[in-house]
This record gives sequence, structure tokens and C-alpha cells, in this order.
Amino acid sequence: MIEFQHVYKTYETHSDENVALEDISLKINEGEFVFVRGHSGAGKSTFLKLMLMEERPDKGRGRIIINGQDLTKLRRGKIPYMRRKLGVVFQDFRLIPTMTVYENVAFAMRVTNISNKVIRNRVPYVLSLVGLEDKMDRLPDELSGGEQQRVAVARALAHGPKVIIADEPTGNIDPELSMDIMQLFEAINKVHITVVVVTHEHELVNNLAARYHNRVITLSHGHIADDTANPEVARRYLANGGQPVPELSYSV
Amino acid sequence: MRFSSFIYLVGQGLHNMRANRLMTFASMGVLTVCMLLIGTAFLLGVNIDYMVDYLGDQNFVVAYLEQGTTEEERAQVEASLGGMAGVGGITYNSPEDVLQEYSGMLSQYTNLESVFANDNPFLANYEVTLTDVGQMEAVVAQLGALPHILRVNAPLAVQQLFLSLQKVITYGSYGLVAVLGLVSMVVINNTIRITVFARRREIGIMKLVGATNGFIRFPFFVEGTASGLLSAVLASGIVCGGYYYLCQWYAEHPTNLTEMFGGELVPLSQVWYLIVGTFVVFGFVLCGIGTATSIRKHLNV
Repeated sequence: MIEFQHVYKTYETHSDENVALEDISLKINEGEFVFVRGHSGAGKSTFLKLMLMEERPDKGRGRIIINGQDLTKLRRGKIPYMRRKLGVVFQDFRLIPTMTVYENVAFAMRVTNISNKVIRNRVPYVLSLVGLEDKMDRLPDELSGGEQQRVAVARALAHGPKVIIADEPTGNIDPELSMDIMQLFEAINKVHITVVVVTHEHELVNNLAARYHNRVITLSHGHIADDTANPEVARRYLANGGQPVPELSYSV
Repeated sequence: MRFSSFIYLVGQGLHNMRANRLMTFASMGVLTVCMLLIGTAFLLGVNIDYMVDYLGDQNFVVAYLEQGTTEEERAQVEASLGGMAGVGGITYNSPEDVLQEYSGMLSQYTNLESVFANDNPFLANYEVTLTDVGQMEAVVAQLGALPHILRVNAPLAVQQLFLSLQKVITYGSYGLVAVLGLVSMVVINNTIRITVFARRREIGIMKLVGATNGFIRFPFFVEGTASGLLSAVLASGIVCGGYYYLCQWYAEHPTNLTEMFGGELVPLSQVWYLIVGTFVVFGFVLCGIGTATSIRKHLNV
């Protein structure tokens, strides 16, 4: 489903090079629920940007395969079509402020050329899944943070993607609502949709992973420091001189 | 693209105009003011050109007949003049007509008609008006070559002055239109860029949910085109309406000066389509294409 093979990503500035990811290899299978966590600067954002093709790996250094498609060989014009196979939820919701809740959700379907009839049926349905069917005509600014995030989840689900990628989905909402959003992702995962949640909230991850037995991948300084699905990763990381991540409570 | 998608995108473009009405109003305002300036400069140029043309047309060439030319010979000369290229009209003045005219002019000082009653020194002549003042030199040469023409008097220096003046005014006014057009392009392009910049986040979101560049551009194109066309309609209405009343006022308030320049402005019927056409093309090209291309750098997400 999602595969990184020896991926490197370096950002070049005028005077210096910043290695964001170094030799990242992992495989996320269909229907998995995976947390990707790490501190600021660990490489989470770069990991996400590479999946969304906002960035590309260093030339000739690694391959990224999503749904059987090698992203490193994808032409620029094909990127929108690849993104349509994913559902993305952002920390800052990224709803279009001039569109109503209904239109924001419908927009993700319109870009995929879905007919109006299907949109009219599907949008109220996905909004009911996130509990917002009675707020379809509101503008995003008229909703709370938690509600805006649920609209974003509905938008990510609307066009029926096989993979949902969430970037710090609880970063901008109250802690008590964070669990609701995470449980929403758990429910989505139950219908065999792959969910990848990128977050720096170690405690939330620990709680949820303990409860739902989710896979947790920990990034540190551009490397994979731990992967609960593969204990060998942590041992190799430490053996190669990697620094232990204090919040880890898993396989290390 | 599905027809329903097309309708949706057109609707989105129009919706965005309302949703971003402040920026829409700003770009339409800038565009309308630019068009008004261009239209005014154009009408000024056209009218000055028209007046100079009128003044030029008031010049005529005088061809004097030899003394003793018979009626038969005069008829031949008249026939030749009638068929000559560049000649707009001819007026025959007999020696008696000329004497009468000069007598009238000098009546306060002397009675010329009685002085020259038996010995009229004036020559018969033809006043030849020209279809194009620019052909004066060629017509003068042809007239001089006709039999029984003694000499030709032509205000060639004045004609040269008018032609030069006309050239300067034409280049000046159209140059002004071009400069204003260029300035307008820069100002409008800048306004569009500000509009697009204000919505770069929206564009970024569209890209991340999988919208193609064309899908994102189209509503912007519709929005820009609609703003451009609305501005064109508004500017056309103001310029043509204002000019219509100016023409009326000009004709109803004649002065010595206005009479000297023909007493009328170029009729609106001769220029309205040029104004409207230019404004529509200007609005469409500048706003429609300008908007669609301004978002290019924000599409690289």
C-alpha cells in the first residue's frame, strides 16, 4: 500500500545542507492504522510531504510506492490524480473559508469529476458520519475547532480513498476533543481504510496504541528509531549510535 | 470535463466575485479608471485630428486662366478639372466676380468697380478644393500642366504645416493611449496579483485535494473575464454617455473658436464601436488571461 525504499531527503540552503530523512525504509500494509511520531525536526513533515508529493526524494536515492504507483517516476501533471486516491487531514484543517461545510466536502468530489447526483447523496452521508449533518450550510468560521476538523475528516473521506493521511490532526483542538477525533479515525480504519496519523503527541499515541494496538513508527533526527511492527529496527538504530527517544514505551 | 463541472466552475467564478467583492471592486475600479483615461485620450486625439483635418480642408488652390481665354477653352479646362484625381470641387470666378469681391473689401477707401469699369485687370480663376490636402503638390503640378492656365497659387507651406501638425497630434495622442495602456497593464496586473496572493492558501488547498491546474484556473479565469467585461461595459457607458452630452453641448454653444474648427465634434456614431470594442478586448485579455497566468506560481504545490 505505502512503501518507502531507502529514501533520502536533503534540503539545500545557500550555505548548508539539512538532511531531513536518511535511508528510510518501511512498508504500511492495506488496512493498517499507523502512528508516525517524533519530536520537532524528526522528519515527520518531510515524511508527509513526500507521500503527498509536495516534495520529492533526493534524486536517485530511494523510491516511494503508494497503491502500486512509484511516486518518484510520476510526472508533475499526474500528481493531482495520485492525490485523489488519498484523503488528507491537516492540523490547521485547511477548509476553504468562502465555501460552506457542504461545499468544502463536495469540492473534494468535484475535482474527481463525480456527478452532481452522487455528490448530493454522498456529502450528507459523510457529514452524518462525523456528526455534522445539521451544519452543512455553515461557513467554516462559524464552527468550533473540533467541528472544523471533523469537516476536514469528512472531506478526506468523501471521494472514497483507500488511504487517509492525517498531519497532527489534534494539534489545533482541545485535548478532550482529541480523543473524539482519534476515535473517528479508528472507526474509519474499521472499514479497511489505511490510516496514517503523523503527530508529535507521544502521550496520546501511547494511550491509543495501548488501547487499540496500533502500529507506531518513531522518527528521530531523520531516521526510524522504532517500529512496533518490527522490533529489530530499534535495536539496529541504537546499535548504529542512534540516541534513545525518552518518550518511547514500546519495543526498545 | 463534465458539463455539470463546467457549469459548477463558471458558477464558482461568479460566486468568488461576490465572496471576494472587495478585491473584485478594487480590480474593477482600477480597470474602469484606466479605460476612462484611455478612452478620453483616444477621443481627444480623434477630435484634434478631425479639427486639423477640417482646417486643412479649408485650403484651396487657385488656378488663374490666361487673359483672353475663350468660353470654349474655359469649358475644356473645366472638363479637365472635373476629371482630375484629388479634386473635390471647383468654383469659377470670372474677372467681374473678382472685381466685385475686391470692391466690396475696399469700399471704404475707393470704388474699384468705377476705376476699372473699362479695364478690369483681374484674371478669371478656378478655386479648386482638394479631396485630400496631402495631394496638394500633385494636384498643383497637374493644374500647371493644363493649357490656358497661367499660374497656380497654392498654400503649400500652410499645407505642410497642417500635415506636420496632424502627424504630431496623431502620434502624440495614440502614443498617450499606448502609454496609458501600458501603465494600466502594470497596475491591473499588480491588482490581480494581490487578489491571487490573498487567495494563495485557497489555491494550495485545492491542489492538495487533487484539483488539476486547469480546474483551479478556470474559476479565476471566469472571475477575471467577468470583472474585465463588466468594467468594459461600465467604462463604455461612461465614456460614450459623457461624449454624447459633450457633442450636444459643443454644438449648442458655438463660439468663434469652435466655429473656426468646424463647429462640431466627431459624431459618436463614428467612434462608439471603436471604444466599446477596445474596452471589451482590453478587459477580456488583461483580466481573463492576466488572472489565469498570475496564479501559475501558486500552483506549484
